[in-house]
Amino acid sequence: MNALDPLCTIKPPVEVRCREELEVLRKIDEEQGNKRPDNWQMSPRAVRTFILGSEKPVEYQGNKYQIRKKYFGNDALVERSIVTLAGNRGLMLVGEPGTAKTMLSELLSAAISGNSKNTIQGTAGTTEDMIKYSWNYALLLAKGPSREALVPAPLYVGMEKGILTRFEEITRTPAEIQDSLISVLSDKVLNVPELGDDGFLFARPGFNVIGTANTRDKGVNEMSSALKRRFNFETVMPVNKVSLEKQIILSEVSMLAQESHVDMPVDEDVAELLAATYHELREGVSSYGHRIDKPNAVMSTAEAVSVYYQTMLTGYYYGDGHLDVECLVQNLVGAISKEDKDDLEKVKGYFNTVIRDKSSKEGGLWKQYYEARKWLR
Amino acid sequence: METILRSEEMAEIMLLPVRHHSPACAHQIKKIIAEWKPNAVLVEGPDNANALLPVMLHGDTRAPFAIYYAYHDKAEKISAEQAHYKCYYPFLDYSPELVALREAHRNMTDVSFIDLSYGDILAASANKVSEGEPPRNYNDDYLLARNGYIERLCEKAGLRSFDEFWEKYFEINGLYEDSAIWFSHLNTYCALARENTPAEVLQREGCLAREQHMAARIAQQVLRGCGAAAKQEESVSQESGRDNKIQRILVITGGFHTVGLKERLCGESWKDTVRYAKQIEHYVPDLDESVYLMPYSMEAADALNGYASGMPYTGFYQKIWEGLSRQIQDPYEESVLELLIASGKEVRRAEGAVSTYDEICAWQMAQGLAALRGKPQPGAYELQDAVLSSYVKGEYNIASDMPLRALRRLMTGTGSGALCTLADVPPIILDFQDQCKKFGIRTDSTMEKEVTLSIFSSRKHRQMSRFFHQMLFLQTVFAKRVKGPDLQRGKDRSLIREIWKYKYSAQVFADLIDVSVHGATMEEAVVSLVQERLLQGTKADGAAVLLTQVFEMGISSQLAAVYERVHELILKDMDFYSVADALKSLLMMEELGTLYESRMRFGALLHTGVRKLITLLPSITRMRDEMLDEGMNALKLLYQITGKSSQEDTGERENFYEALQRMQEDGQIHAGLNGCIHGILYGGGREDPHAVGAVCRGYLTGTREQLLKTAVFFRGLFYTARDLILMEPEMLVLIDTFLGEVSEAEFMELLPQLRMAFAYFAPSETDKIAHQAAGLHRKSGRDLMERDAVLPGWYAYGRELDAYARRVLENP
Repeated sequence: MNALDPLCTIKPPVEVRCREELEVLRKIDEEQGNKRPDNWQMSPRAVRTFILGSEKPVEYQGNKYQIRKKYFGNDALVERSIVTLAGNRGLMLVGEPGTAKTMLSELLSAAISGNSKNTIQGTAGTTEDMIKYSWNYALLLAKGPSREALVPAPLYVGMEKGILTRFEEITRTPAEIQDSLISVLSDKVLNVPELGDDGFLFARPGFNVIGTANTRDKGVNEMSSALKRRFNFETVMPVNKVSLEKQIILSEVSMLAQESHVDMPVDEDVAELLAATYHELREGVSSYGHRIDKPNAVMSTAEAVSVYYQTMLTGYYYGDGHLDVECLVQNLVGAISKEDKDDLEKVKGYFNTVIRDKSSKEGGLWKQYYEARKWLR
Repeated sequence: METILRSEEMAEIMLLPVRHHSPACAHQIKKIIAEWKPNAVLVEGPDNANALLPVMLHGDTRAPFAIYYAYHDKAEKISAEQAHYKCYYPFLDYSPELVALREAHRNMTDVSFIDLSYGDILAASANKVSEGEPPRNYNDDYLLARNGYIERLCEKAGLRSFDEFWEKYFEINGLYEDSAIWFSHLNTYCALARENTPAEVLQREGCLAREQHMAARIAQQVLRGCGAAAKQEESVSQESGRDNKIQRILVITGGFHTVGLKERLCGESWKDTVRYAKQIEHYVPDLDESVYLMPYSMEAADALNGYASGMPYTGFYQKIWEGLSRQIQDPYEESVLELLIASGKEVRRAEGAVSTYDEICAWQMAQGLAALRGKPQPGAYELQDAVLSSYVKGEYNIASDMPLRALRRLMTGTGSGALCTLADVPPIILDFQDQCKKFGIRTDSTMEKEVTLSIFSSRKHRQMSRFFHQMLFLQTVFAKRVKGPDLQRGKDRSLIREIWKYKYSAQVFADLIDVSVHGATMEEAVVSLVQERLLQGTKADGAAVLLTQVFEMGISSQLAAVYERVHELILKDMDFYSVADALKSLLMMEELGTLYESRMRFGALLHTGVRKLITLLPSITRMRDEMLDEGMNALKLLYQITGKSSQEDTGERENFYEALQRMQEDGQIHAGLNGCIHGILYGGGREDPHAVGAVCRGYLTGTREQLLKTAVFFRGLFYTARDLILMEPEMLVLIDTFLGEVSEAEFMELLPQLRMAFAYFAPSETDKIAHQAAGLHRKSGRDLMERDAVLPGWYAYGRELDAYARRVLENP
């Protein structure tokens, strides 16, 4: 059984899911002789196309391939990120939870290095061993310090192979551990003192680091300014258009449904309703101009996707194969009342003003949505 | 470009579309004028500004400058309000229109403006002005940028805005394109933008009327040339080639109009245009319009500063234009690099966080982005992206955006223009200069000077003060008051001198032109502005402040009108605090009337205010904490005014007390306000000290929350009756009990209120209270102040002990 077989994994990595698109873009690059930085799998322009999609289908050997837009929101940010990774500095994606920082980092790694799995998953318990290297102690005792006894960690792997190393949730790791990146990022060399003169690992071209950090974690383990200097920062903002948010919900949910073999169409109207709810609660103002109390919970698009998907699964397995608005409201309650009990009151207030007005003006689905407010408890 | 050959009239008309403030446009126009050698250059611009052309093209005139238009709608062509309208038409060194005018002037070619005047445009779009703001800018570039077509286009091209789209396809790529191709692209774009603009918008914005007028002016030029050619033909022999007689007319207009103009100059429409050209109509009387040139600044010309006057980033594009004029290969690269370094320097100076390596990374970013986006050179957007990515460390938010703000300032630029001495001087400036001469104020130097005015003893000084106040009111940067009575804020009223600093600069000139729409003299402009504000204001306090300003400016003709308006607003206004503020200003003016030699009496107005305020009193009973100061001040003011009342108004004091007593009956009354009211009633002999003590005890023995309110109750009480604590020993006992009841944490929380409560006492009074308080605990005042002295011996002993301990610890 291959762990990367889409049928055997819950969520295969991007390079597996989008194998065909990556392949086609790579081949077109080769055919056209487009310039690409050393060790990159494709040219910066092809990376852009892979992430932001192509306006028209791309043609290769007489076949047409539509490259799907995978990241919605700020195109300029994606372009800056690509240029940063081709340069000498690391890329640090910061932003609110659920703004698709990790997704962008995966997409960039898959396109540039063909590998998004070389990842350090930052936690409070992350140690330097998990970043750089550790030892196979049996071999170490038997043969002494040697390359065979060394167990490379993602940073080592990235430098050795000339690929990107992803560092997730960097601000969750203690500051002194974060700082182990400093000299590697500036000198591009890792010293393994145990190996003596052979212990210098010089990074191959193509190596770089993409970090992600959550702005809600700010102050937990603040990055040192020395480390900050080695990164270009990109702040990922929440999506600011309902239409875009709806598009993300539609695209993400259909992909999730496809992966879980849930054969049920995604309802555009429900996606719009959910996108509007999340957008308005996040911004604190409705499309009619009502002022709304903002809940403290994270109102990210990723949360909206998960609420939709949960509702869809309930409809698929327990219901009649249709999306139930009452169930949607129940899932919304679950998603919102996590941290603060006042949040539920705020959502109730939102239903009793904004949704009430929308239901009386627009009727239809909004009316059902308003009637489902009894589940807000 | 569109070229129309009118062979019958022997004229060739070239219509060039432009975007205002576009260096690429200017660059291409320069080339075309050199190659095509037109006989006449007609430019979109108000034809009543033709007289300004000699000044605009004079060698001593320096851009940026603007044509300033003012229109006073006396004839009610726009609305019955007879409003004043004004707008600007800014020119920068790289404005295509100015470049065309300068080039044509150098080649001794005829130049003229051909568009409707500002007043005419307003009138042509009349009935629609009320739907939104009247245009503040003469340009109508925004029509190119705001339509459904461009939104879709930007979305498809993956660009953030029209300006980015324009820079990519027209500015940067324009440097490498042939003029004919460049203009044909622009023409296509403009035609599509126009196609996607609804007809009603064209009508509303006055586009159609403008095009009719411009086409007529072009036709006039064609016919003039035709007549001249006919005469020439009679006198000159047949030898000269036919080509020589063809008149070449270059027409430069906003890209949006090219299509419309072409239609009117071709085919059957030509006849209508010629017919209209013979009897051009004006919508508004000439006399109601005025046109001046004024120096302008880069900041004002930058579209992002609010006027939407063409392209943004004036400072950046000025650099590009200078680069183009020097004929350097890559003007964009050079300017981007220059600004990256300059902004890096600024950030370093302010925050010290940007290194040379950051600048290198930013430069690589700008170049990398240009390559990725398919631009031959990085432009304004790559520059901003590079700074955002390389100079902002950490999350991008309002606290970390300093590098981008610094860059934005540099991209806007700081230059300002100047006019040659031939420039017409508007009457308001002549009036200003006359007054300066009268008061001995020099306007030939830009040094700041200071003058001290004894406003109450010297008539001349009083007049000078009025003049300075008028200049302040007109929002010019000429003078500022450093010291002196401030009637608007009610501060420093006891001062008898005013100290002013004044400085003459070109900006004063521009500021005065800006208000010249309101009148030909300073007084006229002030009067007109006062009247305008009177109509706009809806609050009594605002009107009363205006009254103080009129009072200071000595515009006696307006006092009565403002007085009436204040009266009307006091009656209408239902906001207690606004009426109270108005009353305060009125009382102050009543007191100062003799000093300021005002014949106005405010007695009746004061009484109206007092009566209104008393009726509004109950509305503040449950006030918010932050309004306490204002509320207490208002009560004190009422107490003062009702105390002064003459015989017939004695009822007011009674009414005041009754209102206060009614307020006390509300159980939810704000504790501070309650204290203040009890103080007033005690002072007025309406309440004995025991009653006050009883209320105080009520708070003390109440629930915890009420107990804590005692502090603010004391604050209110001592504000109006601080003698109570000195006269009634019981009060001190109550305070002592209160302090005994609260925990240390609560005390810290209440400390600010208590401090405020005791701030109303003089130092000698606080001393006396402290003595009495100490007495309650069987201590004398001295006990509180004195502490046992530390004897030198003890200190020496302590030091020895310290040294011993350290020795023992170090050598165990």
